[in-house]
Amino acid sequence: MPSHQVHRPSVRSPLSGLLDELRRELHAPFFGPLLSREAAYQGTRGVFPPVNLYEEGDAYVLTAELPGVAPDAIDVSIEGSTITLSGERKIEYATGEGTAVHRRERQSGTFRRAFELPREIDLDGAKASHKNGVLTLRLPKAAKARPRQVTIETA
Amino acid sequence: MSNEQSREIEPRAKSELVTEDTRPGFVFRPDVDILERPDAYVIHADLPGVAEDAVDIHLDKGVLTLDARFAEEAGERRPVHVEYRAGGYHREFRISEDVDPTRVAAKMKDGVLELLLPKTAERQPRRITVEAA
Repeated sequence: MPSHQVHRPSVRSPLSGLLDELRRELHAPFFGPLLSREAAYQGTRGVFPPVNLYEEGDAYVLTAELPGVAPDAIDVSIEGSTITLSGERKIEYATGEGTAVHRRERQSGTFRRAFELPREIDLDGAKASHKNGVLTLRLPKAAKARPRQVTIETA
Repeated sequence: MSNEQSREIEPRAKSELVTEDTRPGFVFRPDVDILERPDAYVIHADLPGVAEDAVDIHLDKGVLTLDARFAEEAGERRPVHVEYRAGGYHREFRISEDVDPTRVAAKMKDGVLELLLPKTAERQPRRITVEAA
């Protein structure tokens, strides 16, 4: 890494998106404290899919915006406390004589994101659902990772 | 079909619109693809989290307005890490005169809206067969 400040181009390019992602990966803990609205917005440009993580009782709930990706094109793997989302978003249009593309903003290609959760997950209890282009994972914390009350016995 | 191409500079990621909206929450500008076929224009818009009944499409004075809302699931969820927000989507398209407003159709699948804007019959290219006299 060069020691000088990275020049930020005024017009956003795919490279600046990558730089943002790299910066985010370098500086942010995997799941740090709740980011401010501005930080969350600035920090996740060019990241696909955007992901939210919630804590709900004894489980984590992870949601990911994956519009246009069929459930069978999404691969979810869990290893210990690491969740990996991967897959491919395909956008195909029939092209032929007289067909023109006026605007193309929706991006296609492969994606892969890995997240380290603060605690281990109960693999057998993990559930995934998919609705309106949003993937929801319900990940119960492993029993051994839950806080436990220890009673102190008097001698 | 639209003069958007020369009018807008925009980031690729979900961008928030500054609106005078009286409703609370965020309003985003959805990513779209616009295609022209010989018989119709087709718009695809990414609207993750939006159900079919939460989309409003208006066509008035040559402007097609797309409005959609999506809500975060209520519950005892404590956010730990947030990369996207609930709110709404809004975008306007200037539609060319050859669109037949009575036949505009829309459908949703996996959070993607497909808008079909058929051209009026008289504007469609036609093959004219030359008959032998």
